[in-house]
Amino acid sequence: MRAEDQERIITELESRVSLARVKSAEAGGLKLQEVLEDSHYFERRRLKDDKKSPAFEDDLTFWNDVQRDLRRASERDQKMLVRKIVRHYGEEISGNFDDRVYQMVTRVLPPGLGLLLNAASPLRLARKFPQMPNLDESVVIQGETEQIHRLHERGTVILVPTHVSNLDSIIVGYSLFRLGLPPFIYGAGLNLFTNPLVSFFMHNLGAYTVDRKKRDPLYKEVLKEYATLSLEFGYDNIFFPGGTRSRSGAIEQHLKLGLLGTGLGAYINNLARNAPQPKVFIVPATLSFELVLEAETLIDDFLKEVGKARYIIDDDEFSKPKRVFDFMSQLVSMDAKIHVTVSRGMDVFGNPVDDDGESLDPCGRHIDTSRYVLKNGVPTADRLRDFEYTKEVGERIAESYLADNVVTGTHVVAHAIFGLLRDKNPRMTVLRLIRTGGTEDDLELRAVYHEVDRLLTALRGLQAQSKIRLSPKLSGSAEDVVADALAHYALYHTRPAATRRGDRIIPTDRNLLLYYQNRLEGYGLCKRACLTPDHRSLSDHRS
Amino acid sequence: MSAPKTPLKMAIVGGGPLARAIAYILQSGDTDVHLWARSEDARDRLRDQLSGTSIHHKLDAALQDASVVLLAVPADQMLEVAERYGDQATGDQVVLTAARGVGEGFQLPHEMIRARTCVRKIGVLGGPIHARELATGRQINAVLASRFPEVIESVRALTDKSPIALHGSRDIIGVQVAGAISNVSSLAAGMADALELGDTARGVLLTHGLVDAKKIGVALGGSDKTFGGLAGLGELIPRHVTSMDRHLEVGAKLASGMNVQEALQAVNGHVEGVITATEAMKVAEARGLDLLLVRAVVQVLSGEAGAREALEAVLQRSLELDD
Repeated sequence: MRAEDQERIITELESRVSLARVKSAEAGGLKLQEVLEDSHYFERRRLKDDKKSPAFEDDLTFWNDVQRDLRRASERDQKMLVRKIVRHYGEEISGNFDDRVYQMVTRVLPPGLGLLLNAASPLRLARKFPQMPNLDESVVIQGETEQIHRLHERGTVILVPTHVSNLDSIIVGYSLFRLGLPPFIYGAGLNLFTNPLVSFFMHNLGAYTVDRKKRDPLYKEVLKEYATLSLEFGYDNIFFPGGTRSRSGAIEQHLKLGLLGTGLGAYINNLARNAPQPKVFIVPATLSFELVLEAETLIDDFLKEVGKARYIIDDDEFSKPKRVFDFMSQLVSMDAKIHVTVSRGMDVFGNPVDDDGESLDPCGRHIDTSRYVLKNGVPTADRLRDFEYTKEVGERIAESYLADNVVTGTHVVAHAIFGLLRDKNPRMTVLRLIRTGGTEDDLELRAVYHEVDRLLTALRGLQAQSKIRLSPKLSGSAEDVVADALAHYALYHTRPAATRRGDRIIPTDRNLLLYYQNRLEGYGLCKRACLTPDHRSLSDHRS
Repeated sequence: MSAPKTPLKMAIVGGGPLARAIAYILQSGDTDVHLWARSEDARDRLRDQLSGTSIHHKLDAALQDASVVLLAVPADQMLEVAERYGDQATGDQVVLTAARGVGEGFQLPHEMIRARTCVRKIGVLGGPIHARELATGRQINAVLASRFPEVIESVRALTDKSPIALHGSRDIIGVQVAGAISNVSSLAAGMADALELGDTARGVLLTHGLVDAKKIGVALGGSDKTFGGLAGLGELIPRHVTSMDRHLEVGAKLASGMNVQEALQAVNGHVEGVITATEAMKVAEARGLDLLLVRAVVQVLSGEAGAREALEAVLQRSLELDD
């Protein structure tokens, strides 16, 4: 983000959010005193548990000052205090993207990306540099790559990828670079900024910080308004609408609408001020990994906290540079692919758009979308109405994710093995099956081939209806697919998901099997009741 | 001095009894009512009956600049009419339907409108609406369901001074399923009347219909509460509501031994319950739902069972009221 825009955005942010709070207080909402007390309370509580935060001392001083000023604040002082807090949050969130640094970094990509992945240890970097993984070979970018260019020229783009791994933002950033697009800005969890070198690149590649530990409603409002303003200023954004990384491994189907709705907010504001290019486009992208860096931690977290995710993991594989490096190196050496599939773009109401950015109705007729937001002839925001529009956008994105998910052998074979385990233990809950392994220690190889064959037939049928994408490797026989998947399982994880011994298959790590098989949830492939994609009632399901 | 208020324009698409009744009520208020009917006969007849309504022979003219559009056509015409309307549709329009049937694959009327137009602000009318009573000026009660609160607000503003009391709901799915399945229940009630099974049996059959409606509605994402409210139970209590009479008549003819085609030919008007029953059964099979009354009606419609045999089988089963 350009420095002059950054200052303008923060000034506008301060003005908009504080004005909204004053208006809300005047209309009978929370009084300013209560808003300030809430902010102070939530931040104090966070600081009590977050003493290791690099900004701890500064934050403590800031909130001590707020507390002191709040005691004898007049109404006018309260307004000023709200402004002060909004600016404080705004400055923390704001990235410091520098175009010169971006140019420098992108010139040395992909080695620069390797640098990013291995940034925590410059010594190791120096030693291993000749073997630095080259992502050109491993990342397959496909789908509507032309359309996203055209939409970028005709408005502001929000790219909404699936979220599996902390590598996602890097892979997406790299893909945008490969597509010849300028950097998009995105909100990255504060935990990704803890390493100073990674933080430097993150900031300069367009990341702004999102502190998920901040519970203050005012902070969330500032964050949303920051995203809205960046869109109004024409900065393309990346949002991960799944929120956090998918713990279960399944494709996200229940998306968080808060940040997603900022696209519509920006569009309405653009219309109201007659912006020359008011349109905001939403472009889903599905990232499909043959192997997932943090699979073990994520599925472990999922199983521990079914229904109430731990939400923030700051000690996973991503924080261990050696694991990241091993993962990337082995990915390249085994020809394992990361598929990035760009879906067709849509408007902020969920209507598809053509290559000129014109919205289309289901019969292919052009739509004047400004009329969706008119009130007495004026473009106006309406919280309840806009929530419904955004909900539809969420539904369309979820459909795109399912249709553009690239299935690989690791998913299909895990699904087959897990399905057979469930068949053999029909009265056992899934959780119990995972814990105990069920009644038998292994499966007949022939039975696994048979089940993989059944799944491949069903998946090819779905692919013919454009309901899923299959990795090219899945065009082979069931025997080839199983052999390839087993080789991949053995590649990187601490324990492989499954191994072959003679003519038997041993489900070595049932957690991992569940994780990889979950990628095929939501397609109706199960013979038994599927684990629901929203992962709420895992323990209730009988296998 | 404030400028005179521009009257709100409402377009009614269709020339049936409901279209006529709504136009009749609203034309006397502040609303500028425009109506389009497909047939010339219907237009001529309506011109005589509705002096305060502009009757158009071109759909475009009726729709132009309308704030609210009522698609007053049965479900089997909805896709075609919605597609025509879609040429003029704009995102700020509020669109209403009162159809009590479904399309292929149990497609609900609001889904058909969505499938052919750009509009989002859709409202569905349900509950014990009776067009004839509406035309006499008696107060009637209807449910208006929409996911958009402004749909309910704007229609309430239109009907403010009319005898229509609107009850708002967000459950657009439940209200439509309740209305559609009530027609299937009416087919069964017509059979029961003709077979003289008695009032108790009739009541039990209608309750089975409500249970079936709730099962489908909830499976499709509707709220179970809707079925115990005005759009569900509330519609079963009055003796006459829109489309009930035709369905009772067809039911009676089926019970007398006529096949479906003969029964439909003998009755004037749309009988949406026949398609609804068949499509509901397909949904039930796909989703593993056990629909006792719907299955019995389908068995009679297909000739697989006689009316008495099918209904008595239902009456022998216990009601799953707690589901």
